[in-house]
Amino acid sequence: MIVTRTQKAGFSLYAGLVLLVFYFPVFCIIVASLSKKRFFSFPYASEDMTFKWYADALNSPQVHDFVGVSLRIASVTAVASVTIGFFSALAYARYRWRGRQTFQRLVLLPLFFPQSVLGLALLMWFNFLDVTTAWWTAAIVHTVWIAPITTLIISIQAYGLDESLEEAARDMGATRWQILRKITIPLLLPGMISATCFAVLLSWGNFALSLFTTGADSALPEWLYARMTSGYQPMVPAVGVINVGVAILLVIVLFAIVRWSTRKSRTSAPSH
Amino acid sequence: MSDASPVTPSKARLLERVPGLIGALSASPFALLMLFGFVAPLLCVVWFGFMPSKTFSLLQTPTLENYATIFNQTYFKSILWSLGLAAVTVVILLVICFPLAFAMAKIFKGAASFITYAIATSLFVSENIRLFGWVIGFMKRGVVGGTLETWFGLQTDSLLYNIPVIILGMVYVYLPFMLFPLVLGVKMVPDQVREAAFDLGASRWQVFKKIDLPLSMPGVMIGSLLVFVLSVGAISEAKILGGQKVVTIASDIESEFTYAQNWPLGSALSTMFIALTTVVVFFALSRFDLEKLLGKKPAE
Amino acid sequence: MLALRTAPANSAAYGLHLPVCFYRLMDPSATPILEVANVTKRFGKFTAVNDVSFAIADGEFFTLVGPSGSGKTTLLRMLVGMEKPTTGELRLRGKIVNDLAPNKRPTCMVFQSLALFPHMSVGKNVEFPLSIRGQRESERRTRAWELLKLLHLDPNRYYDKNVTQCSGGERQRVALARALAYDPDILFFDEPLSALDARLRKTLQKELKDIQRSTKKTFCYVTHSLEEAMVMSDRVAILRSGMIEQIGLPDEIYASPKNAFVAEFMGEVNLLDITATGGTSAEWDTGRKPLALTLPAPLDVGTKRKLLIRPESLRFIAPGDTAGNTVPVRILNQFSLGSRIQYHVEVVPGCTLTVERLREERSTATADALLGWDLADSQILES
Repeated sequence: MIVTRTQKAGFSLYAGLVLLVFYFPVFCIIVASLSKKRFFSFPYASEDMTFKWYADALNSPQVHDFVGVSLRIASVTAVASVTIGFFSALAYARYRWRGRQTFQRLVLLPLFFPQSVLGLALLMWFNFLDVTTAWWTAAIVHTVWIAPITTLIISIQAYGLDESLEEAARDMGATRWQILRKITIPLLLPGMISATCFAVLLSWGNFALSLFTTGADSALPEWLYARMTSGYQPMVPAVGVINVGVAILLVIVLFAIVRWSTRKSRTSAPSH
Repeated sequence: MSDASPVTPSKARLLERVPGLIGALSASPFALLMLFGFVAPLLCVVWFGFMPSKTFSLLQTPTLENYATIFNQTYFKSILWSLGLAAVTVVILLVICFPLAFAMAKIFKGAASFITYAIATSLFVSENIRLFGWVIGFMKRGVVGGTLETWFGLQTDSLLYNIPVIILGMVYVYLPFMLFPLVLGVKMVPDQVREAAFDLGASRWQVFKKIDLPLSMPGVMIGSLLVFVLSVGAISEAKILGGQKVVTIASDIESEFTYAQNWPLGSALSTMFIALTTVVVFFALSRFDLEKLLGKKPAE
Repeated sequence: MLALRTAPANSAAYGLHLPVCFYRLMDPSATPILEVANVTKRFGKFTAVNDVSFAIADGEFFTLVGPSGSGKTTLLRMLVGMEKPTTGELRLRGKIVNDLAPNKRPTCMVFQSLALFPHMSVGKNVEFPLSIRGQRESERRTRAWELLKLLHLDPNRYYDKNVTQCSGGERQRVALARALAYDPDILFFDEPLSALDARLRKTLQKELKDIQRSTKKTFCYVTHSLEEAMVMSDRVAILRSGMIEQIGLPDEIYASPKNAFVAEFMGEVNLLDITATGGTSAEWDTGRKPLALTLPAPLDVGTKRKLLIRPESLRFIAPGDTAGNTVPVRILNQFSLGSRIQYHVEVVPGCTLTVERLREERSTATADALLGWDLADSQILES
């Protein structure tokens, strides 16, 4: 296909514009977080610029608590959803069994479900079971929503899994457990690592599910929401920027790990 | 080999004997999670919808009074608002995302993955924070208002709390959910098929209408479906950007559970809402399957 | 005009091994439908097509043939308008079409992948160009029906069939029907038959040639197989690294290849490295010891050339028999090719020749034999 230079320039311009609008809110938050005034107004003089709110946020014991709750939820969710996702990915992509097609359809269902309603449903369910909601119930709810995602991510890797490798190992006398430990898990490792990163990040940023299910504990997005709806407070944008920064940092770190592990598995592949 | 120890039939040998058992076994942790974390709570909601008003117990005589209340009051308005806003969001996102997805799939090379990362990162930031950015942008003397006033001398009041801003917020938050399926969809259109259509005399518009659009339909469907379902249940956009201008079904449900403390009515509303979305999802899902979209249909 | 098409239609299937039939001598300068004048295409620093010029006559079956990477596909993509030449001119019926988009050109291509529209039935695929033109439904259907019949696809069975359910050969026919529906001045083919098995390919080659004759359309075919080119074409152009090596009638190219590249490209041939030693005598560099040979024509002393001898021109010399050149050889292997037998023989270790004889002329020798050829059966070629 001939793509003329003007067409390419047009598409590039359009993509640039979309990205610009897409990152406009982040820009706004950064601008607001640096304003000294108690009531934000734009533009402000350069002497009104300050990092005070960042210092406040980092020193606030309240914020520490919320970060702690969020991190606890995220790590439990990640471990649970990747473990469950690993096995369900094998059922999804690798093994042939009778319920497979139905399973493949149903796996996605929780993703297509409005999160606020899912959160409420689980709130009632916990109430019915007479369970007091706390951070760990939120972790369960996050797992319900994130396990389908980890399943999909690991499945993509599992589709690429060469069945003959497992068969060869079996042929050489390996047991199921040995095959799993020595062949399947190492080969699916890149998929599991990226699934872990998705799980942590999605749990970290989730609000709709946490809102109803954290009980007395409160996750960071909940606190931000409460502050946003109850009027402007200058520490909110600062915490928001820190939150975005942490997310970007996690993305970079985890993608670096994924790259490293895929490269490792690729270079070690011929020696198998 | 395992035949060397025929004394006890090991678990592994049971797995060999029953075909498909290993698959069912692998699926079971997930299935249990869904049973107790998804199906049971939903049944709980449905059942609660039949309980008398304002109770917190599930052990009362079932009644239809909540549904009567829903139909007698103005809840249908918030359902219509939710459906309408979601539909508008889907249409706007299709128009915005298709050219971008096309460029990412067919024109850009290195830039495509840059755009992917740039957009995907946003998925990991709580939507509240991102919507709050718009609040700062659009509030009275915010980034946009302040800019207009200082450099263009235009006095503006707050640009928030109206319907276009709510739609903007929804379009903004759900853009990745439309863009990525569309990119996958457009990638499925083989280059040579497009070239063949041009070669047979089709104009750009005809190629779009007769080749690009139908062949990327799986992506279009998945994207639209995702965005529709997510935005129909959206709660933050209308609250943070819209003030109290519009009450969506999701915020109706939320207030029944929080302020009104009427769980049965909230449950009945949820049930209706779930039924509505399920009908849409199942109708759409029955028309294609994801394995085809991923291009990895293994032989059964 | 002389139209001596006396060759039976199925001669094509036998290709090289029949005396080549009396094709009409095409004179492209008389009625050129397409002229390619000094066309060059560069991608960055890489030159894919380098200063190529030729013309195609109206109603001709013209084939561009070359190994992969020879620039044939790039050249084809320029001819249909999917790439633009860096320099040079493309003239269609005398009009420059360099910048004309593919959808504005009266040309059409059958892709290597066929590029059938997977979401349309066979009938809708064939009708596509007609619907683009805004033809009425009933007319479109009639035309599609005719074309499917022409291509031996029963319209009753195939019109509503899903293209993804068609076999390889059926898909070829649908692609051709769709291209014919466009009614182009020139039909281009980007080796569409390469994915098929040998037998089906032969059948379709023959059909393609028949259709070209009956529709009197200009066909321009691209392939990497010279055999395929020889079977179907009126004229053949051989490409090598972006340049045309030789252009001419199939039998012309077969009889007198311009150089060793063209000769080797035609199939299994013996090419001997020789150095002239004065007059018609020369030395064959076998890698071990040079062997003295007699050439069919004199060369200056010290000139290095290749000597072409076809496998079927080599024969085993019985005692008392004579030939222009003889060499003692050892028979390494023999393979049956049906009516013929192929021998691999060794002149000195590391230097082998290929010999092909009819079954009734098989060698009686088992290991050592005397091999010979007549001077007239050898050709001196540039390398």
